[in-house]
Amino acid sequence: MPTSRVARPTLRALASVFLRYGSFTFGGGSSTVIAVEREVVDQRQWIDRPTYRMVYGLARLTPGTSILATCTGVGLKLWGWRGAAVALVAASLPCALLAALVTIVYEALTANAWARAALHGATAAAVGIVGASCWHLVRPYLTRRSWARSVVLVAGSAMLSILGLPPVRVLLIASIVGVLWRRSESA
Amino acid sequence: MNVLLLYLLLLKSTITAFSGPSSLPVMRDELVVKRHVLTDAQLTTAVVVGRTTPGPNGLYVVCVGYYVGGLPGALAGWLAVATPALLVIPLLRFLGNHTSHPILRSVLDSVILGSIGLVMVTIVPLARSSATGIVPAAAAIGSCALLILTRIHTFWIVAGAAALTVVAFALGV
Repeated sequence: MPTSRVARPTLRALASVFLRYGSFTFGGGSSTVIAVEREVVDQRQWIDRPTYRMVYGLARLTPGTSILATCTGVGLKLWGWRGAAVALVAASLPCALLAALVTIVYEALTANAWARAALHGATAAAVGIVGASCWHLVRPYLTRRSWARSVVLVAGSAMLSILGLPPVRVLLIASIVGVLWRRSESA
Repeated sequence: MNVLLLYLLLLKSTITAFSGPSSLPVMRDELVVKRHVLTDAQLTTAVVVGRTTPGPNGLYVVCVGYYVGGLPGALAGWLAVATPALLVIPLLRFLGNHTSHPILRSVLDSVILGSIGLVMVTIVPLARSSATGIVPAAAAIGSCALLILTRIHTFWIVAGAAALTVVAFALGV
């Protein structure tokens, strides 16, 4: 299973790269994926680009955070199960510890009125962040020929949620709609 | 709350999420609505931390875990974030180069679109909790607009919103 384009890196080198990019890259998955590709494909030549792109494509199909799945997949390709585990832990644990630490600091700050005022603004911004994320996610679908279907799916899911259907069931219905819609297009 | 149960609930939210903040609706439903172990204010604070610290945006789940269960809860949150990534292993073994299968792509697209609808509904209670009042509402709307229309990094937008409410507090608004 493990494959490598040039010399296979040591587990330590693997951990070092993913720790750096997992823990010190801002901006979420997309920017980190590009940065990791530059490092492992272009600079270190651990794997070739088609393999990396294939791993990333499959990572997009996995639930959760696609960058962590990408790191896990690259680790698997290079070192099998051990590589997958090392890559996943290196890419996620340090930044998770930092996030927990920052949360503790946030909580400590709420004792101060000025800090509370600042946090109030920050949490208001979080609402805007979530709204903007929705827009960035839906925008590519609106430029496709099937934009009307996309609008129906979004509106339909929102309506089902408002009517009280649990989120997981709404997603299940959406996935079934995806299968049926594709089948009707190819019929 | 039992840490194992917390892990399973957080995992339920991460394993049904395929993009962005799409784990929010399930997480809110389980922890805020059904079990009342988390508040909307804590959830939005967790989102802020997730977006302003380095690493994947999905790490806000770690913060949620901390709010519910302290440090053991944060560990449960980390495990809930990391576990779904392991699903790439069987996918690599069995799907290989078939990532562009039309039905697979259609299902994924539909789930993502469904998630967007769910998240849009989730925004309402979060806004009621964190964006009430003229200044916080302006901060929320302004942040959304800046993120959509400009390339300003999230960190600075959050900092700007925080500064706005501090100024408002100083002025007694």
